[in-house]
Amino acid sequence: MATTIERSTTSGDGAPRPPRDYTRGSERPVGGFELWMWLFMRISGIVLLVLALGHTLIMHLPSGGVDRVDFGFVATRWASPFWRSWDWMLLTLALIHGINGLRNITLDYVRKPGTRFAANMVFYVLGFTLFVLGTIIVVTFDPSNWPPVA
Amino acid sequence: MATPADVLQDSDARRAGGAAGAVTLTLRIRRFNPEISQDSWWDEFTVEADPLDRLVEVLHQVKWYHDGTLSFRRSCAHGICGSDAMLINGRNALACKVLVDDVGPRVTIEPIRGLAVLKDLIVDMDPFLEGYRTVLPFLINDSGEPDKERLQSAEERARFDDTTKCILCAACTTSCPIFWGDEGYIGPAAIVNAHRFIFDSRDEGSRERLKILSEKTGVFRCRTTFNCTDACPRGIQVTKAIQEVKRSILFDRF
Amino acid sequence: MASRLRKKQKDDFGTAYRGHEGQWSWMFHRITGVAVILFLFAHVVDTAVIGWGPEAYDRVTEAYKNPAVHVLELGLVLAVLYHSINGMKVTLIDFFPSLAGHIKVVGRTSAIVFVVSAAIVTGIMTKQIIDLL
Repeated sequence: MATTIERSTTSGDGAPRPPRDYTRGSERPVGGFELWMWLFMRISGIVLLVLALGHTLIMHLPSGGVDRVDFGFVATRWASPFWRSWDWMLLTLALIHGINGLRNITLDYVRKPGTRFAANMVFYVLGFTLFVLGTIIVVTFDPSNWPPVA
Repeated sequence: MATPADVLQDSDARRAGGAAGAVTLTLRIRRFNPEISQDSWWDEFTVEADPLDRLVEVLHQVKWYHDGTLSFRRSCAHGICGSDAMLINGRNALACKVLVDDVGPRVTIEPIRGLAVLKDLIVDMDPFLEGYRTVLPFLINDSGEPDKERLQSAEERARFDDTTKCILCAACTTSCPIFWGDEGYIGPAAIVNAHRFIFDSRDEGSRERLKILSEKTGVFRCRTTFNCTDACPRGIQVTKAIQEVKRSILFDRF
Repeated sequence: MASRLRKKQKDDFGTAYRGHEGQWSWMFHRITGVAVILFLFAHVVDTAVIGWGPEAYDRVTEAYKNPAVHVLELGLVLAVLYHSINGMKVTLIDFFPSLAGHIKVVGRTSAIVFVVSAAIVTGIMTKQIIDLL
């Protein structure tokens, strides 16, 4: 003979008791900002493997290294939209990847919320400013603004 | 024939004095007593011990015969209650599972890292247990009572078998460099105990737990350092369990 | 209760935790990451100077043409190399969790890839510095 355990599914006044809610009122989806940044770091990391490591090696390894770099070198390189796009994607992805890394570091080591907030804001503002500066340069640079003196 | 009194006498003699097969062990122990000083200090004790003695027995020897003020937690003394997790020769371990033979002629013993020290080798476990409570470490199933037990196949049971082994000793969480920096990080143990329910077919609370684990203090703070897997005295594949939780969150969203 | 608890002291980390290889590779990953991002901040600015014409830009690039800077550049390239290779290791373990069971092999492979590529890069860049001297 089976014994059933009685558990009340109604509250004291007879109304059905709603199922227990463990979500603490949160309607956020699973994942959120932390998931996106975790994924971004990995996807951007793979892309940066080509963009950043590639850039570093092609600048430093060929004979002459970065001593080859001067106005003419950049002008020649940025005559091609391929390199301008490469450099702009490198700028954007590296900045976001790096700034998020700094955010993680402050999250780990800066305990006071006010200080952490300030540090993060400094990183975001700095990152955004450099992004704007870099974008303006890589998009608008035109060597014919400085024609060679005859 | 030896009486019980003889056996105890002999055992005491072995403890206090030397005995055949005994080795000399020097223990360097990190001491702290807030009633004396806010600074911690090192004490050294040299004892005779059998190579197959567990470190918890040697610590008893120190406490009972050398310095009665030495304080440490222990209970079952055979690797199941998780009370005596300590930093032994630079690695987290249970003092009752480490043999004198394992640690050589000198052993350095410190309290586990990342949690405030109360006295000597006793730490404040509250932040650790707080992280554990955060992940709702109990069966959530509001579908109503079944007629008999909730059935589960062998494969379903095997899915979360590894993470049922946790004894909440805190060896993993206090070996995590992220936890050292921020004791608000829920830590490997909490994630392991969440995993135990998330992957239990009888449980229905996965989404709630995955939401909690997606927060800043949750699973994405893990940097796959593997210190936790190394430290676990139960041999749980902790980092792998954390990876599986991350993947759960990832695949829920995408 | 809280007032009787000891505040964390400076010498709490006096003895190094003898952790897994992953502890050290994570530490170097962080150090190289910070080094590279700090460099990037400076690099965006020194490249942006090109918007002020060849005299300005070439003055900047001239300042970098000395052996001391070239040694620092070698450090930078090695930092980028380490961060990339270790980053790939972490990414592979994240996307193929069964690799977590073979972490020793993965760790060793990653270390070998770094050592070999670092040796090649150091060889090439050191030769460049020597040729300049």
